[in-house]
Amino acid sequence: MTAAIEIAGLTKVYGEKRALDGVDLNVSAGSVFGFLGPNGAGKTTTLRILTGLARPSGGEARVFGRDVVSATNEVRADIGFLPDVPGYYEWMTAPEFLRFAGSLFGLGGRVLDERVEALLDLAGLAGVRTKVGGYSRGMKQRLGVAQALINAPKLLMLDEPTSALDPIGRKEVLDMIGSLGGRTTVFFSTHILSDVERVCDTVAILHEGRVVTQAPIGELKSRYGTSKLVVGVTAGADALAARLAAEPWATEVSRRENGALEITVADLAEARRAVPAAVAAVGVGLTRFESGEVSLEEVFVDLVGVER
Amino acid sequence: MRGFGAFLIKELREIARTWRIWVLPGIVLFFAISGPPLAKITPELLGSFVAEQPGVVIQFPDPTYVDAYLQWTKNLQQIVLFAVIIMFGGVISAEKRSGTAALALTKPLSRTAFVLAKFVSQTALLAVTVVVGALATWGLTYAVFAEAPLAPLAQATATWLALGVMILALMVALSAAIDSQAGAAGLGFLGFIALSIATLWSPAVEHSPAGLLGAPTNLVMGKPVTLGWPLATTFALTAVFVLVAVAVFRRREL
Repeated sequence: MTAAIEIAGLTKVYGEKRALDGVDLNVSAGSVFGFLGPNGAGKTTTLRILTGLARPSGGEARVFGRDVVSATNEVRADIGFLPDVPGYYEWMTAPEFLRFAGSLFGLGGRVLDERVEALLDLAGLAGVRTKVGGYSRGMKQRLGVAQALINAPKLLMLDEPTSALDPIGRKEVLDMIGSLGGRTTVFFSTHILSDVERVCDTVAILHEGRVVTQAPIGELKSRYGTSKLVVGVTAGADALAARLAAEPWATEVSRRENGALEITVADLAEARRAVPAAVAAVGVGLTRFESGEVSLEEVFVDLVGVER
Repeated sequence: MRGFGAFLIKELREIARTWRIWVLPGIVLFFAISGPPLAKITPELLGSFVAEQPGVVIQFPDPTYVDAYLQWTKNLQQIVLFAVIIMFGGVISAEKRSGTAALALTKPLSRTAFVLAKFVSQTALLAVTVVVGALATWGLTYAVFAEAPLAPLAQATATWLALGVMILALMVALSAAIDSQAGAAGLGFLGFIALSIATLWSPAVEHSPAGLLGAPTNLVMGKPVTLGWPLATTFALTAVFVLVAVAVFRRREL
């Protein structure tokens, strides 16, 4: 199967600054792909090159096998795009904007009527008669996702679609994106880790213009995540923590807010044998003993090397 | 030229539904309507002013339709051209700044179609506005002076329109190249000043668009005017400016 996006050695230089420094990326068709990175990592630049808004300084980028520089209109016919700050003709209503967007794809008649109606429903904007200029940020983002879907795209590219939204607006947009899984390829840039964990199946992490890793989320966690154990005791947690910290297999012991101990371990099998023995030796009661989940945030911090 | 028709329809609807329908037409119609009565009462106003000055006697000729037409051409050559330069200084850059260009141009709309639709729609606005203004001037001139031959007014207006469209094309090119509306308008004014200075050199008047700057006035006054080269060079420069606008905009990153 042809990959939805193939990027090889992509560079973009602005004066002295290398915004992209040899990006390599492969997005499988049908995936919901999270393009994760801190602000300024080069996510928007990558998307601008993929959509033809900017030209690469080097390397190549292909969408469904077509070069994004030489086949701009063919590429755009297959994609839907929501920029980080979408600009609308504020004198239009939502149905008018969707019709305008559809007309640029050559859509018309009944097909366009049906799509506009369905997308207004999906965006929760059916029956809204006000002009786009009067919309809230959340409504504009939902309209942005809707207009990006007007051509039933094979690839939907979203640039930071939730970054400026309140929790309700964010949930609504994420629900919209999540509902598209399996129907189209979604390429979704963000710096919000929880959004990626919630809707994406695969992730790439971009840092300082380079892709530092790309993998399915589960594989990434197991590849980069350190094993953890959570231990709860009836009393004497400090004494137990001191004893465990001295063990060679324990790399870090910390207290959670609820008083439980979180132990980062180098040898999980050894830790599973030694922890109950240590609890017995200290003479306290064991109330909890389980594996701790490694979050994408921890993987991200580990790879990017910056506390966020 | 994919997307030209759809984007042109958007442009025309935008003109009809935003401030654009009020500004240029408002300016043109104001001067079209006020010109003939003003031409009629100007000698009386000046006469009453002079009468208050002891020892000064000036005879003013009776006003005619020519005075009304001259008001019209004078306003076209100055105020309306300035309005064109200021208004259209952001015709492309405003869409780049607001992000609407990025949203439209990530769909199968070519940049050539984007620029040409802008030029065609704004040319239509300018042409319709000026033709309606000329008709208003003609009707009011007839009402005020009981005489209003159509031919000199039509020739003068059409000649100005050729120049106006060339200035519009220049502004489209400047707006494609420069993000600042004020910056583009400033360069547009420089172009206008250069054209005005060129009218002092007769070869330029005979063989360049500079000849169109004074032509409307001369046509209204019945003076002989040579239009062949000035019109040909104006049309050629209009095409060049549009091609430059397309070439520049195709290379720009959004």
